[in-house]
Amino acid sequence: MKLTIVAVTLVALTACAPPGEDSGSGQKTEGPIKVANINAQSGQLSSLGKWENKGVKLAVDEANKAGGVNGRQVQLDLFDDQGDPTVGTNLARKISADGYVAMLGTAESAVTLAMAPILKTAKIPNITSGQSPKLADLKSPFLFLNAPTSVTFDETLAKYLVDEKASKKIALISNNGAYGSGEHDAFLKSLKQRNVTPVADEVVTPEQKDFNSNLAKIRQQNPEVLFIGAEEVQSGLIAKQARELGLKAVFAGGAPMGTDVYATTAGLANAEGSVVSSPYLSNEASPAIKEFAAKYKAVYGEEARLHVAKAYDGASIMIEALKQTGGEGGQKLADAIRGVKRDGLLGQYNYDESGVGIHETKIGLVKEGKAVPAAAS
Amino acid sequence: MLYLAPAAVAAWLLPYGLGGYTMHVVDVAVIFAVLAIGLGLTMGVAGQINLAQVAFFGIGAYTVAILTTKTGLGFWPAAVLAVVASIVAGLLVGIPALRMQSHYLGIVTLGLALGFINWVTNAEIAGRAEGISDIPVPPLFGIDLSSGYLYYYLELVVFVLALAFALFVTRSPLGRRLRAMRDDDLAAGALGAEIPLLRMTAFVLSGLYGGIAGVLYAGLIQFVAPETFNIGNMFLLLAMVIIGGRASVIGCVVGALGLAFVREALLDVSAFAQLGYGVIVVLVVVFFPKGLAGLPAQVFRRKRAERPRLSPFIPYDEAPAVEAQTVLEIDQITKRFKGLIALQDISLSVPAGQIRGIVGPNGSGKTTLFNVISGFYTPTAGRVRLAGTFVTGAAPYRLSLKGVARTFQNLRLFEDLTVRDNILVAADRTRTSWIWRYLALPWTVSTYDRGLRSRADDVLGRFGLTGFADVVPRSLPYGIQRRIEIARAMAMRPSLLLLDEPAAGLNGDEVRQLAEIVRSIRDSGVTVVVIEHNMGLVMSLCDHVTVLSGGRVIADGTPDEVAVDPRVVEAYLGDSMAAPTEDDTDREAEHEHADR
Repeated sequence: MKLTIVAVTLVALTACAPPGEDSGSGQKTEGPIKVANINAQSGQLSSLGKWENKGVKLAVDEANKAGGVNGRQVQLDLFDDQGDPTVGTNLARKISADGYVAMLGTAESAVTLAMAPILKTAKIPNITSGQSPKLADLKSPFLFLNAPTSVTFDETLAKYLVDEKASKKIALISNNGAYGSGEHDAFLKSLKQRNVTPVADEVVTPEQKDFNSNLAKIRQQNPEVLFIGAEEVQSGLIAKQARELGLKAVFAGGAPMGTDVYATTAGLANAEGSVVSSPYLSNEASPAIKEFAAKYKAVYGEEARLHVAKAYDGASIMIEALKQTGGEGGQKLADAIRGVKRDGLLGQYNYDESGVGIHETKIGLVKEGKAVPAAAS
Repeated sequence: MLYLAPAAVAAWLLPYGLGGYTMHVVDVAVIFAVLAIGLGLTMGVAGQINLAQVAFFGIGAYTVAILTTKTGLGFWPAAVLAVVASIVAGLLVGIPALRMQSHYLGIVTLGLALGFINWVTNAEIAGRAEGISDIPVPPLFGIDLSSGYLYYYLELVVFVLALAFALFVTRSPLGRRLRAMRDDDLAAGALGAEIPLLRMTAFVLSGLYGGIAGVLYAGLIQFVAPETFNIGNMFLLLAMVIIGGRASVIGCVVGALGLAFVREALLDVSAFAQLGYGVIVVLVVVFFPKGLAGLPAQVFRRKRAERPRLSPFIPYDEAPAVEAQTVLEIDQITKRFKGLIALQDISLSVPAGQIRGIVGPNGSGKTTLFNVISGFYTPTAGRVRLAGTFVTGAAPYRLSLKGVARTFQNLRLFEDLTVRDNILVAADRTRTSWIWRYLALPWTVSTYDRGLRSRADDVLGRFGLTGFADVVPRSLPYGIQRRIEIARAMAMRPSLLLLDEPAAGLNGDEVRQLAEIVRSIRDSGVTVVVIEHNMGLVMSLCDHVTVLSGGRVIADGTPDEVAVDPRVVEAYLGDSMAAPTEDDTDREAEHEHADR
């Protein structure tokens, strides 16, 4: 009898109230402001994720030391997405359920793309370190990039190589990962607009270490320029093996080729003269960057780099916007981010409706393992 | 039934106690549970190593993603097409299984799974490495399925249906045949199971469950990317099935849900999670080979009552004498193995109601002859007629359905099936094409199964095996296993029974019982052909004896005539050095001798 009553009660309960959480879980006006940092801490992309986290943490720690946001501390919590979009979507739901007002990261475009619709529904503004053009294509009002998209990187590069240096014989080698294929597509598009057809277009996998067969094919075409669309270490390996095969072409590529990792992997002599398109050429590019690089080295004991700098910029923009909203999130915070005009390490941030803040990159040449602005050469 | 109701209520009320994120974790876990059921059916029940399950999952999810975002198709039509696509993929992956098994099949399915990942990372239409986002939320009569809570109920319904169907299939005649195929595909074929079609069925089921899980995944996450379907996740899925207990569908579900939550708990130390799964899998395989599902049996094993005893055989009713008719006629059969002649121009005919003895020294071709008659070998030349119709080269399952039953020289019982199930596999006389009923008319399957069970109980009772019905044959003494094999053959209600050395390893008392059983079988109207080395038994039991030596018939007549035939005496006793190399013949022709 008792059981029946319990059962009936339960059924009645089920019938009238579908389960769920109160969606308007309320913007707290006291206590720490919860900001999530989601980045790969394990797996292949963990080095990127760790750099990003250091940059973000540096900015947040500085802000907290200076009194936080209108007196409230910023609580930065790190989550590991393992570079897996599915884990990313899980985490997106986790942070929206746990009352985070904003998110910083991830460094992997595919993960951010997966999370974007959920964060949009949950109205959680996200400043990502991804630079895939697809991120901008989403036109999500809650998604912001802390760096230019591959289109900007490669348009600048194509302009320099084709329009200024009049190179015609250009070969491409890129990997088919999210970053590599984004670079490949954007650069190819810029070349097409200039009526240049690449003499070779080799695609490798992100795990590949030996490129001799691809490079041998490229060598037959004897190109003037070899565009490399790959991450730091792979770009270095490609450059090294290309020189070993006797390829004379000038190497050109995006931000990874401006890093010390690229230069040391390739060998300083091999990397010499590589053309880099990046908003952040070196740690000595400007007084502000020098100051930041010194600060970073003092805290973490290692050299600053683009990934650190853009994460720092992104976090700084987020904090500035939070100060304007008084710690409030949602639409208000998104609007505030859009309104921030920051003279950052990567350049002048000026967000458009697709969430892109930086619209130009600089051309640099690698000299003794360091990228220096092309004009100075 | 009793434990079902609380489980149902708990599952229904679960969302009320969970936070939004935990709810999402549960949603993902349920999807993995559906996947694990599919893998459990193919790998655990049907014994087909399948490392492409994660690819079926991916095909389901990607098909939904591509159709909804690129062609603007609605979610549910896309979902139906996605499940169809996964099933087709299952069929394609299953084709290699027709030719190869075990680790070869593992390598092939793994290769196909890698091929799928490779394709989606490179194909423009699949969004390459960045995947496809913005998959629409499935519409459902105005219910907002973008809420993880309400989506859970959709999943719950699908999951319960998927689980019920899997349980139904495993416990039905089809499931028994699949399990029989897993344990011994040759014996299963000889009992009427159409092995190629069964293997395809296993992969179709795998594709079906993979597709359903893929659709649920696409609807829940609304995003697909290659990483989700990589080999790491295939390993996780495999771990779920192995930890849960691959032969048990419920075990697979428990393993999947359990590991999904462990994975969640390990999120903070995810770098080492793979290592953790690896260690757990090793420990489970070593200490609990049957997984969690096998634990209760392992714990309660010793609490069994005293061993049941073998009851006496109840003779069959004598069939009225029928007019003399030739049941088996062999005409000029020759069988060569790469230059070795195992059988040469063998002709013999067996009239209805006879007990025919086939004797001869080792390597004289007796078992090869059986293998030709039962369809395991196709003869190089010559013809076999069964009750007047030519059946030369017909597959074992066809011959089985035509009434040919056989036992094996080395026992070939299905080791992991109970004695009753062994009998039930043989009692099932349907073609595998009958399986459309499992989807369309499941209740007719249950009715049919009840009929089978009562027939199996009759057979068990007649052979005095009722006390052993629910144990596995492995645990029984050899003599009883021999009797089970004969009972299993008789459960097929054959017209022709081939017994390959039925008295091997039996003691005197058991041999007497065997003779009694065989005579009764003959009296019930079944023609019996028996290969035997025990000459005393042959002399007393057989009506007619054919003697083989070196692949030829050297004598044919009543036991008394044959016993004094000089050629027979010579073949058995004299000049054995001149006989064809028995050892070689043994290895080539009678592979079943290998264990002797």
